[in-house]
Amino acid sequence: MVPDDYDPSLFQALPDDVLALVSQSLSPRDLCNLGLCCRSLYALAQSEKVWLTQCYALGVIHHKDLIEWRKGVSSYRALCRFLFCVQPLIGIWVHQNPELGNVVYVMPGFVSVVGCRIIPQELGPLGIEDGPILWAPVFEIFGDFDGSASFFLHGRERGVDYVYPGSLKHIDRNCNVLLLEVEPRLQKNGGKLAHGKSFVQHSDSSKICRTDSALSRSQTVLEQNDTKVLFSRLSFSDRRKLLEVVTSRVRQKVPDSANGPLFARLSDNDENFRKDMLLLNERRSLIFHMQSCKFGEEHSDLCLEIPSDLTQLGLGEIRKSLDRSSSAIDSFSSDNAHGQCAKKKTLGGYFRYGIKQILGKSISFNGGHAVLRNSSSSSESKRAQLQEFLRSGDMMGLTLNASTVKLSSYRAWPNMHDSRFALYKLPLRLPKPDQEYAGLWGGTFGWPPGKPTEDKPGKALFLLMLSYEESEGQCLLIATKILEGTHYVLHPNGSAMFIANIDQPSPDPFPWSSDANSLPVTTDHAFVGEGIANGYGFRYPGAKPGSLYVLHNGLIAFIWRESRAVLTLQRLNLQDLLKKGERVPALPAIANFTYLTKSYSNVFAGFSNPSNGLLSPRQKQT
Amino acid sequence: MSSPSSSSSLSCPKKMITLKSSDGETFEIEEIAALQSKTLENMIDENCADTPIPLPNIEGKVLAKVVEFCTKHAEVGVDAESLRAWDDEFVNVEHNTVFDYILAANFLEIPTLLDLACRVVADMIKGKTPDEIRKIFNIKPSPEEEEEVRRENQWAFE
Repeated sequence: MVPDDYDPSLFQALPDDVLALVSQSLSPRDLCNLGLCCRSLYALAQSEKVWLTQCYALGVIHHKDLIEWRKGVSSYRALCRFLFCVQPLIGIWVHQNPELGNVVYVMPGFVSVVGCRIIPQELGPLGIEDGPILWAPVFEIFGDFDGSASFFLHGRERGVDYVYPGSLKHIDRNCNVLLLEVEPRLQKNGGKLAHGKSFVQHSDSSKICRTDSALSRSQTVLEQNDTKVLFSRLSFSDRRKLLEVVTSRVRQKVPDSANGPLFARLSDNDENFRKDMLLLNERRSLIFHMQSCKFGEEHSDLCLEIPSDLTQLGLGEIRKSLDRSSSAIDSFSSDNAHGQCAKKKTLGGYFRYGIKQILGKSISFNGGHAVLRNSSSSSESKRAQLQEFLRSGDMMGLTLNASTVKLSSYRAWPNMHDSRFALYKLPLRLPKPDQEYAGLWGGTFGWPPGKPTEDKPGKALFLLMLSYEESEGQCLLIATKILEGTHYVLHPNGSAMFIANIDQPSPDPFPWSSDANSLPVTTDHAFVGEGIANGYGFRYPGAKPGSLYVLHNGLIAFIWRESRAVLTLQRLNLQDLLKKGERVPALPAIANFTYLTKSYSNVFAGFSNPSNGLLSPRQKQT
Repeated sequence: MSSPSSSSSLSCPKKMITLKSSDGETFEIEEIAALQSKTLENMIDENCADTPIPLPNIEGKVLAKVVEFCTKHAEVGVDAESLRAWDDEFVNVEHNTVFDYILAANFLEIPTLLDLACRVVADMIKGKTPDEIRKIFNIKPSPEEEEEVRRENQWAFE
């Protein structure tokens, strides 16, 4: 029954923390709707406490970090906006190439999320826990003062670290693929478009060009009319060329002062924590400052202009005319000027290499002649598509597109048979009562497990994702290899290192009774299974019988029956390991995001001695 | 003469506490039931519960229901299912009354009642558009800033 004249002060009589309790089960959307009802409810829905509860409910970061991050934004509502936006990105993202493993873990930074690539590596002298684990930066997404998000790709070219600023396309709540794209945009003119004002007025006009998720739906619809060609529809070579052109223009050298840590170290020490927060704060302001004052008013730092006489040009000519028009831009920045000619040569060289690779791949896949015959007729339509694509805007910029696509998978590993500049989501497995061993595990071959010694150096680190599958009424535990630390890969990325049948106990006893510290070892469970073995060539491994042992100390070990090889695994907390880890240089921008070339060796260890594979830098220093 | 507050042996008679509402009505509640309220529990521990406890911000009709709630939740041998059903019936009241429950539960620090009543209000708001919410609570809108506010909050609707 609805009373005749409701008194809005009923809501107002509620103290802040009670309102926070009410809003606990509300989504940010519900809360915003409540705030739209009337002026007094709008004021109530601005409450810091209420939005703190919302931030907490998102579960992205801990309470302690929430308070620190709050200092970098205008309100808890702005913080919630950022956290809500980036929440679907947290987790493990993978790619098929290189076959040794391409694992990018996206984790919270400082008012940011950072994509960290785990490098294929051998265990350091301190074992897994104190590694340190080697990682390289792939991208960062920063939250601005008003909570809007911006994307920065990381890359390194000829010994110099760069960031490549871009925008963030709307992130799907259930996204399963991260795409690196180029996006044409219309240049925004002051207040003409109905642009959502950010929470705090920005005096910096260069921020207007950035596409952020605050754009209203109707506006996005206007821009994406039916005839607009999507980046993903362009041919591989066009996409690659566009990415190369854009990244080479928007890149900015990272000054030494901004080359600090991307996230806080793992430490119980309050003093260290405070120091880290200071450094992180400084770095964040520096990056935003870098971005806003690089270019003059005509060109946004994030985009580059597509010349107006574009319609008749092919991409080769586009590149030439872009070079012509961008010479004006380059005069603003000294780093590019003298490197211009050398850069063109490198770009061209990269491009030729890329085409040869792709043509080589498609010929062998499609049976050769068919591809070549069709290329002439399709090349015209491709050219038309490219022109259509470029026509839809007058500025071009880098963008990260987190979308949902139809993905098939085989035994927990997504099928990635295409030429997208993408990273694919590896679904998070959490242990449940009937799925005790699900999740991320890591370890090495050999018994006893633990730290490498003088005479047994360099145990290769393996990362495995364990998941469950029902097959013919049997419950199977599948261990999917996502990272292999050997110098030259043994089995394809995403293979099942072993499969255990949880319903079938194994009669074979665990061969060892004590571990490295001479402590007794007890086996809680043993299951029958099979482990990976050589099969028909590299691509189709076989399997040989073995057993999986669950040890009392929380480790699990799989033993191949015939060869007596043993793989010992422990649960890993990637976030903690990375916080204690050691950062190594990244690859050039596009390859740093997706390494599309097929490779069987460690392409990420650029600093290693090629004849020895990946040498741990710790060993080099001693 | 005061009996020990924490003992509850079967031979002792049930200790009763008296509560006085803002409009002067008195209500008796078993001590065990009163322990549901942290505020009352503190008073009992400090031996202030021998005389009627005045509750100046809770009306008689609300206090009656609060006593009923606490008494029910202090009962032994009630299974979770039927207790939940009883709770649902208990909050099946006018919106104003639910807010009264919230304020009373907040003052008396009764977490079970507070959670229950807050959830009811949240359910009234969940998934509804501003128009629907206004209708439920009979709120008069303030039209001026609506468009701007809507735009500011666009991120939550994507």
